[in-house]
Amino acid sequence: MKLLLAEDTRDLNRVITAALTHEGYAVDPAFDGEEALGLVNKNGYDTIILDIMMPKKNGLEVLHEIRGANIVTPVLMLTAKAEIDDRVEGLDAGADDYLTKPFAMKELFARVRALTRRKTQYTEQQLSFADFTLNNDKFEMSSENSVRLSVKEFELMQTLILNSTHYIDTNYILEHVWSGVPDAGPDTVWLYISYLRGKLNAITSKAVITGERNGSFRLEEQ
Amino acid sequence: MQESIYGEYLPQLKAALDYILDGINDIRKKIKEEKTTDPIEHCLARIKSEDSMREKCRRKGLPEDTHSALEVIRDAVGVRVVCTFISDVYTIRDYLSAMPDCEIIQEKDYIRHAKPNGYRSYHLILRVKKKIYAEIQLRTISMDTWAALEHQLKYKQSIGGNTKLIEEELKRCADELASTDISMQTIRDMIFENRGDAN
Repeated sequence: MKLLLAEDTRDLNRVITAALTHEGYAVDPAFDGEEALGLVNKNGYDTIILDIMMPKKNGLEVLHEIRGANIVTPVLMLTAKAEIDDRVEGLDAGADDYLTKPFAMKELFARVRALTRRKTQYTEQQLSFADFTLNNDKFEMSSENSVRLSVKEFELMQTLILNSTHYIDTNYILEHVWSGVPDAGPDTVWLYISYLRGKLNAITSKAVITGERNGSFRLEEQ
Repeated sequence: MQESIYGEYLPQLKAALDYILDGINDIRKKIKEEKTTDPIEHCLARIKSEDSMREKCRRKGLPEDTHSALEVIRDAVGVRVVCTFISDVYTIRDYLSAMPDCEIIQEKDYIRHAKPNGYRSYHLILRVKKKIYAEIQLRTISMDTWAALEHQLKYKQSIGGNTKLIEEELKRCADELASTDISMQTIRDMIFENRGDAN
């Protein structure tokens, strides 16, 4: 796990770097905004920790540039001032979390763990329901047989598995799987539900999707 | 000249082949009239050549005689029916199994239960008029495409490349094609449903 720490106060930078290294992270320290940006553009990080008050470029400017370059790495902001405006501006600019100085090292560790965990768990997880699994790396759905799913089929099945304790309606599905796709409608949802029903059958799974056209749907075991 | 491995039975083999092909043509005509869609993309039929049959006997350690060719090996008569949609495979299978003078000796559904390498097809061994065995392979166009291309590549992969990777990738292609087959079937069902004459 690789972290970037941008903090201009040398002593504090040294203490945090030592503590995080001790926790098992590989830490690159930076002492001003420009140095931090240079490192972000050169290396991949799992989380970036940015102090707001820094020389050359402040933390918010660095954050704007990072997000402007489509880098989606989680960012934790550190702020000396407990001012609401800084935190709001940071979060609006694409920060994932913030921590107000002074902070306990324990809390920093917990927040870094939370930020790095989300990414790894989401991508490495293999979801399963009843007798079939949905493999995230291969877009593969398998039981006795396996089939490859299209992106939307995969996302719909993922949504169904994650909501398998209750029914989800056509609108919920449209908002979560087809958000920002203006042409998608209830017919789209119905067609994709029908695809997945056929494909569950094709892999010889006992799982079925219950529900009617334009209504609510749920995964169940036969 | 060497006597045929099929002895005097070649005419019976031809008759059995024609009997099956006639049956397939009947169902094809019937479905075309009822549903205005053609369930069959194409159909291949053959009587195994003298050389191939002798080679198969040798490979299986059987004596090269009529008994081996007709009673032990059961694909002297072979038909491959390449269907349009998955549901057509099962429609044709049901029709063939209901034909008079035709009993099912064995059937293997490699569509519901794909082979580990990704191969999908429906295999039937029929016995016509209590005498002649025939092997029928039913599959969709996609399954046929995969089988044809995989057959060509199978013999090339020992020449160059990472065998395990190639096998995995061929399996992936089979799974993608299978997925597309179901999507096409679903689209077809939806069109028929909307037309009010669902299959």
